Amino acid sequence: MKRKKVIGLMMAAVMAVSLAACGGAGNSSNNAGGASSNTADGEDANDSGDVDEGDTGAGSGDTAASDAGSEAADAGNSEGEEVTLTVLAGQSTTDAGIEDMIDEALAEKYPEITLEWECVDWGNDFQPKMQQYMQSGLPDIMIGKAQDVATYAPQGILGEIDTQYLDKGLDAARENVTIDGKTYGLVYNALYQGVYYNKAMFAENNWEVPKTQDDLNKIIEDCKAKGITPFASHMVDTWSIGNVTMQFMMNDVFNKDAAWGDKFRAGEVSFSEDKDAQTAYEYNKLIFDNTYPETFSTEQTDCDAKMVQGEAAMKVSGSWSIQNFLDIDEGFEFGIFPFPNQAGDSKLIFEPNITIMTSAASEHPDAVNKVLDLLTSDKELAVEILDYTKTASMLKDVTPTFPNPSQEDIDRYAAEDMIVDVTLGNNQLVWGGFQEENAKDIAAWLQGDASFEDCLKASDDRVDSSSAN
Amino acid sequence: MKPKKISYMERRMSRQYLLLVLPGFIIFTIGLIVPLFMAVRYSFTDWDGMSAEKIFVGIQNYIDLFHDSEFRDAWWFTLKFTIGNTIIQNVVALLFAVALDSGIKAQKIYRTIFFIPCLISALVVGFVWLKMFSNVLPAINDFLGTSINFLLFGKKETVLSGLLIANNWQWIGYWMLIYLAGLQSVPAELYEAAKIDGAGPVKRFINVTIPMLAPAITICVVGITTGSLKVYDLLVSSTKGGPGRASTSMIYQTYTTAINGRKYGYGCAMSVTLVLVLLLVALIQVKGLKKREVQA
Repeated sequence: MKRKKVIGLMMAAVMAVSLAACGGAGNSSNNAGGASSNTADGEDANDSGDVDEGDTGAGSGDTAASDAGSEAADAGNSEGEEVTLTVLAGQSTTDAGIEDMIDEALAEKYPEITLEWECVDWGNDFQPKMQQYMQSGLPDIMIGKAQDVATYAPQGILGEIDTQYLDKGLDAARENVTIDGKTYGLVYNALYQGVYYNKAMFAENNWEVPKTQDDLNKIIEDCKAKGITPFASHMVDTWSIGNVTMQFMMNDVFNKDAAWGDKFRAGEVSFSEDKDAQTAYEYNKLIFDNTYPETFSTEQTDCDAKMVQGEAAMKVSGSWSIQNFLDIDEGFEFGIFPFPNQAGDSKLIFEPNITIMTSAASEHPDAVNKVLDLLTSDKELAVEILDYTKTASMLKDVTPTFPNPSQEDIDRYAAEDMIVDVTLGNNQLVWGGFQEENAKDIAAWLQGDASFEDCLKASDDRVDSSSAN
Repeated sequence: MKPKKISYMERRMSRQYLLLVLPGFIIFTIGLIVPLFMAVRYSFTDWDGMSAEKIFVGIQNYIDLFHDSEFRDAWWFTLKFTIGNTIIQNVVALLFAVALDSGIKAQKIYRTIFFIPCLISALVVGFVWLKMFSNVLPAINDFLGTSINFLLFGKKETVLSGLLIANNWQWIGYWMLIYLAGLQSVPAELYEAAKIDGAGPVKRFINVTIPMLAPAITICVVGITTGSLKVYDLLVSSTKGGPGRASTSMIYQTYTTAINGRKYGYGCAMSVTLVLVLLLVALIQVKGLKKREVQA
């Protein structure tokens, strides 16, 4: 009996120790967890972190960066003090892997700082993770999209980004991450969205880049006559339906009325009554009727491969497809044009992508600033990231070096001032809970599982979820 | 009547049992009971999951559920998926177990092959079958010159069949092992006695095997039913609840409503209904099936 008692007590002790160990690991993995607000510290750090612009401006890249870094380091924690910062990275498909590049550069410049990454899919997991951390304490750094600022900044949980870092970015990057005069996001790169087209195929068939729906329909008809699939698409990914729908909405709705979402919430307009919004939804049918029959079973990689292999002429997509295009065939010649709207004045869509946000309650604001310093001043790192993600720079004097056959088109639209920031639409009608849910209804309508009227009504019924706040 | 006196030894034993149970009880309470009560509490609020404000709305969320067609559709899909799984997995697993128990050669190899899929994460299984239906099987179609429709995940009419194939492929081996263990514990004398009484193979199966397998059937039926009612991860990596909403399960709908849709209170109301249904189904099944169990 004594032996049984001893064994019983030992087992209980082992379980208790195991539990304690589990708890300990959990705590150590999240420095920010449960941190009380120390905004004062953050402000101090910002105040004392002034860096002479002369040092950080254009110059010899790394040297200038190094100088700035040193100053930031001086202003920060005592040198050599090891700090672990937690990072929640909501990544697009193109971004996975950049964390290693940042770690490597950080180890060289600020070896005392270690980043503890939690990389999740932005579309599916970023918002749930943020909700979770809003209860338990935010990570020190969050990487999301520009539209996230409008969602989380009003909750008072994001830290203001110091102007010394913002000044190293393009002015265009600030507008949609600034609320009440305070900027809460550092936009690092950008994507372009529109219709990618096979340049060789267009030249071979004497197709001009379409500007109107009539132009587009002529190409579609010619494609069909020649046995070419007009559009590559991958509707198994509901997000792709949501994405193209916002592209359509931007050119047919928001370019006419930038406050359409506000009016929608005020009951002044609705999907069931607004012809422009309906037209934007109906373009999905145009794509569906002119794509592969297996679109609801085709993934993005397979879809992009078909495009590269010349099985389809066009694809409504974004820069995230470039990575696949060039991985499959480095010599693939493609261009981009905005999906033609009813008025024939469509603009190319521009989307600020990687956006760095910081926690207002971080216990290590100085170390966070050092990371921002690295990201904004290490041009070699920036080019490496941009080349890897095949995206455009939002930093001054930083240009990616990867060959982008669509750059010529982008430059042309930029010169004609025919580019529009999709953050406007994404702030008016949020992605999570609204756009992505509408996309499911659109898919159901395309599958014949719901009527068009039901689909519009479902969007109207979801009005309460259309705004982040 | 004199009350039974609890001995010193019994008291000590009780304390020891309590000590052993305590860690598990604490984990269970913190991880399950407390969240369950919190979910019930939130289901009476309009909380969005982010703000500090949680306004009490009474039973409004539950009333709204009755008018929510997406909620009804999610339940309808979940029920079809559950019924399909429960029937197919039980029947096929039992047949496989009987086949393996009949003394065929290389029994261990077959057993291992059937069991391996259940070791794989459901997320991987979903991805594997997405690739199978959209790439591998159509390629075989092309190779053979046939035109069988393998794009099961791509149509609302066929998505349920595709998911049943994927789910059954993963789990049949697991339930088969439980049936196999049950079969191997049936005393041979019962079969011999039935044989002497003139019972053929079918009668022996119905009158001896099935009653003796009743405990295993209870485990399998309850396990498959509750597991199917909770399906989520398989859908995430294969159909994402689509096409449209054709394969949106209750858990999937609850998650997207509560988290992505920022309707935490409403999502909690959905999860409370699911817990109630799970409890009810498990209770009915266990009560009903227990009655049929016999001892050798």
